[in-house]
Amino acid sequence: MSERPVLAVEDLTMHYSIKAGAVRAVDGVTFSIERGQALGLVGESGSGKSSIAMTLLRLLPDNAQILRGKILLDGVDIVPLSEERMREYRWNRISMIFQAAMNSLNPVYKVGEQIIEALEAHLESAREESIERVRRLYDVVNLDPGLIVRYPHEYSGGMRQRAIIAMALACEPDLIIADEPTTALDVIVQDHILREMRSIQAELDMSMIYISHDMAVIAEVSDVVGVMYAGKIVELGGTADVFHSPIHPYTRSLMSAFPSVTGKKRELGTLTGEPPNLLDPPEGCRFHPRCPYATDVCSNQEPPKVRRGNHWAACWNPQGE
Amino acid sequence: MARYLIKRTLQILLTLFIFLSIVFFLVNAQPGDISHVYSLNPDLPPETRAKLQDLFGVNEPLWKQYLVYVKNTLTGNFGVSFSLYPRTVADVIGERLPRTLVLFLTATVLSFYLGFALGKIVAWRRGGWVEYGSTIGSVTLYTVFTPWFALMMIWLFAFRAGWLPIGKFLDPVEWREAPTSANAVFNQMIITMIVLSVAIFAVFLFTTRKRVAGARLIQAGSIVLTAAVVAGVWIASGVAHLAWDIVEHMILPVGTLTLISFGGAMLLTRNSMLETMREDYVTAARAKGLPEKQVRDRHVARNALLPVVTSFVFSLAFAVDGGIIIESVFSWPGMGQTLISAATTEDLPLAVGAFVFVGIFVLVAHLAADVLYVYLDPRIRY
Repeated sequence: MSERPVLAVEDLTMHYSIKAGAVRAVDGVTFSIERGQALGLVGESGSGKSSIAMTLLRLLPDNAQILRGKILLDGVDIVPLSEERMREYRWNRISMIFQAAMNSLNPVYKVGEQIIEALEAHLESAREESIERVRRLYDVVNLDPGLIVRYPHEYSGGMRQRAIIAMALACEPDLIIADEPTTALDVIVQDHILREMRSIQAELDMSMIYISHDMAVIAEVSDVVGVMYAGKIVELGGTADVFHSPIHPYTRSLMSAFPSVTGKKRELGTLTGEPPNLLDPPEGCRFHPRCPYATDVCSNQEPPKVRRGNHWAACWNPQGE
Repeated sequence: MARYLIKRTLQILLTLFIFLSIVFFLVNAQPGDISHVYSLNPDLPPETRAKLQDLFGVNEPLWKQYLVYVKNTLTGNFGVSFSLYPRTVADVIGERLPRTLVLFLTATVLSFYLGFALGKIVAWRRGGWVEYGSTIGSVTLYTVFTPWFALMMIWLFAFRAGWLPIGKFLDPVEWREAPTSANAVFNQMIITMIVLSVAIFAVFLFTTRKRVAGARLIQAGSIVLTAAVVAGVWIASGVAHLAWDIVEHMILPVGTLTLISFGGAMLLTRNSMLETMREDYVTAARAKGLPEKQVRDRHVARNALLPVVTSFVFSLAFAVDGGIIIESVFSWPGMGQTLISAATTEDLPLAVGAFVFVGIFVLVAHLAADVLYVYLDPRIRY
């Protein structure tokens, strides 16, 4: 694909300053997404996945600073944009499906009204047109359009998540970030919604970023997978490559921590130790204190990128091959 | 909803009955009885004393007295005031209650409106001198010793500057040749106030609900227009200067009360805002690219309003028993003064009657709050 990627993130570094020092939540992250592509970001909680999402929308709390890097949206760097300009990018160009569908709808307004509100912030359309558009969005996500005039508490969990997806689609953005879109739902509803999202994405030729700690979800929906550990992407590549021949020891241990339904019975792998404190991350490779393959060099030098085709990992002792 | 209202009304009647009983037995638990006010007079011959006791019914067993009391109260008979004899308790309260209500309702509404508006802004712009200044200011006002503060206000604005009258409800000199009574003028003023606020509220509701273009202009215009009409009607009535005299007497107590209770409303709004700002739907509203003002007013402030409304209803209770301190300092002839003078002159029927009215008002205010909540929070359904 020679056309410009929808989103290119280069060396993005974001810290939260707290009393004890700087929390290095996102550290030198680089990736890009083509039109129509789905990127999955997977990692333990606290690895910086959601921080990346919030940084992309520039919705960070006051104590967060973007120290380095670029966020190129269709070639335009949005990091230096003023708050007023940034407002035009939000939802119109990048929208988001929030983690907690339960809480991301305002309880005192009708759901339809909250979608119309987003439309009105970006499009100059009459109210009737907006309502019509919401009806069509409800159709797309398989919700009864009669629910438009209902309040959030009158929706079930799955319905609410669908409404949130409809809301994210409202302005036909180039990129949708889905932060744990189905974590709070039961497995059957989760499966339905993931399938629907996948088909809507293909239909509208949109780009997506899925964020989840659930490898199974990521495997199902994404074309490209990035594995995050302690604020860094440690492995990035095509979904099949990453899951079938992981390079990084962390990816391997994540995989072995999940049971396989079809594979033979085995002891599930557990990872000893805890994710590092991002106030004072370990020198060298941040994974080395927990890594079974760690050598001396891991503890004092940044690991190099090991490439295998379009698939790379940052590791001194790459696995597989 | 209708079923709920009926249920609540029955509940209120039950609560009121319990309240009445407690008031009655508390009063009777006091040493002596109400006839002592007369019967302790040494000039009174014993036969007259016995006759008086028969007349008051205090020789009857307590349960009989209680039944008579309940029956009388239910038929709206609150008895006769001793200290203001021969006026009935209902008549005295009918005169004093509106005075207290107007004074305290105005101050309560004003302080919550200002407190909410300022608390909203302070919470939104955290840090900086605006937050520190207004927080320190409102904590000071919230905790200040009320009589001292009220006296300072009188000293400053009435005594030193001489802009406002020092106290009381009206200036007798102005009223000497008055064609009507103060109560008549005051009742007309109350009606005017109600009509005015209903009209303005209707315009605001209509313009914001229907998203009328130029809503601000229409709202401002309607305020000016209704104010002009009201002023015109009053001037034509010929008692405008008398009404103005009452207004002048109200300014200082209302201002003092507003300042005292405004701090609490502001701090409450601020805390409620800060809590609501952490909600996911606020982040979502921002992510949608809504303007900051819309996020603040439509999403944060709208939800932060709920606890403030609760607190507003509780402070309405004070609107009836009416801050005895404030009424005493400003010599305002309202319920607070009535209660205290009834207590000191052992005018027990009046004291009991005043308590009953306070009870009724508080219970009705809570019912109104419950109904209001349905409109403010769609999750609440009865």
